Amino acid sequence: MTEVEYDVIIVGAGCAGPAAAKKAAELGLKTLLLEKSRTPGEKNVSGTCLNMAALVDPDLHYLMKGPVEREITEMHSYMITPERTTMFRETPSEGLILLSIRRDHFDAWHTEEARKAGAEVRLATTVVDIIEENDAIKGVITDKGEKLRAKVIIDAAGVNSIVGRKAGLIPKRKGTDMILYVTVNVHLGEKLVTERFGNSIYYFLAPQTQYKTWPWAFPKKDVVTFGTGGYLDDNLFKDGINSVNDYMQNLLDLPVIKEKIKGGKIASWGLHLEFDEALERRTRDGLILTGEAGGFVIPFLGEGMVEAFLTGIYAAQTAAKAIEANDVSAAFLEEHFMEYYTGNVFLQSFRYVADFNKKSILSMPDEEIAAMMQNVCIGGGFISNAIHYNWMKGADEDDMSLVQEAKDFYEFIQPYRQVGSESVEIYKKMRAEK
Amino acid sequence: MKVEMKVDYYPGDPGEFVRVDESKCTGCGECAKFCTRNVWVQDGKIFRPKNLKACVECGACWNVCEFDAVIFEEPKGGTGVRFEYG
Repeated sequence: MTEVEYDVIIVGAGCAGPAAAKKAAELGLKTLLLEKSRTPGEKNVSGTCLNMAALVDPDLHYLMKGPVEREITEMHSYMITPERTTMFRETPSEGLILLSIRRDHFDAWHTEEARKAGAEVRLATTVVDIIEENDAIKGVITDKGEKLRAKVIIDAAGVNSIVGRKAGLIPKRKGTDMILYVTVNVHLGEKLVTERFGNSIYYFLAPQTQYKTWPWAFPKKDVVTFGTGGYLDDNLFKDGINSVNDYMQNLLDLPVIKEKIKGGKIASWGLHLEFDEALERRTRDGLILTGEAGGFVIPFLGEGMVEAFLTGIYAAQTAAKAIEANDVSAAFLEEHFMEYYTGNVFLQSFRYVADFNKKSILSMPDEEIAAMMQNVCIGGGFISNAIHYNWMKGADEDDMSLVQEAKDFYEFIQPYRQVGSESVEIYKKMRAEK
Repeated sequence: MKVEMKVDYYPGDPGEFVRVDESKCTGCGECAKFCTRNVWVQDGKIFRPKNLKACVECGACWNVCEFDAVIFEEPKGGTGVRFEYG
């Protein structure tokens, strides 16, 4: 019999990895966290803002102690058509919407938290293959040729994870489930970022600046991050667009943005893929896929980090249960992992909003979506769009069941909308403890 | 403001982590079309990742290749692209 060296090996120290490692160590498991970069957060990570509505989940309170760049209290959505520009400004009556973070700082902090909890951490270590025996995943092989074994492997290595690919769970993906997007960080200095962007995030829907996605601007302390791109299909490049950089150029050239970044300098550029549908299977014997590796991401809402943190934690809890029950079969892992996942109302809300939005954005030309958004009068942004998609369609087609569905949906997502005084109190408490 | 691809890399050799399977490549050029960094270059009837130094490891080429001709692995630990700000 082969000796098992670890209870759990976690591959990837982005969002899901450190969350899983910390939880696993806290549960008394012998835990190893592997990360290919020298500093966690310096590889192709996605996500720059933590959603406060989700952070009120007790499992995630500790994340409020991490390095925060900016406390976000507003959201602006610009709908730009040739005729007019409409701007929604959404702000909660109290509380914070998001915490803007720098991933190279945040992931490094988070990894250190996992180490403090008792997890062993190895940086600059790339996993190149899995160890597979009798159809079960038994360990991983690193670029240094080491064979590391564990009872459960948690894959937290992102959208292109080599673990998930080698295990046959991550297929090649093209089309309207995969988004290719580019980011640029424009350096303006803290004073100008505050003056011009304030503590708000921005979304833009404008022709020729995206292909079925929502370009965004998220201010950090001294830079503003812009992102845009589109679905990885044959329509990504057309009408004079030959690269996602062309979408970005058009975005930065929008008068409303041009003015705001005047005098700034591009500090860095990035390129990422994001998959926005759930994978068919997320487990095999001895293996759980979390975060983006498991398809737990919703680019439509700019949501991915929260899903990653939670699925990381749930994977660790599942691993602990499986090890205790001496059953690391895919059936056992899947059942318990998904029980945690489907039990989380925030995650389910995200999925619902995303499904509605995706349906609406894929079924209409940009101009129609922008026009529809301009007609929305009960609030702004994604949630309103999601609600209005069925609502308007129902009214147009005289189909009351669609209107009812929209109404039910509105009721359903109420917890997602509530970012009240509770979150501020928790945030203050966590910052004081820090 | 002109979009400028300002990219940082760790020092050290990442290895040949992107390769072409010559027996499978049909020369369709999808890899090159979806590569923002112009890593893939036509070489006779097939495409090769000749500018691998410019790769930022996004994985678009691997995902769009319908012929399984793109071999997309990982750079050696602590090498390859390094993103500031995440």
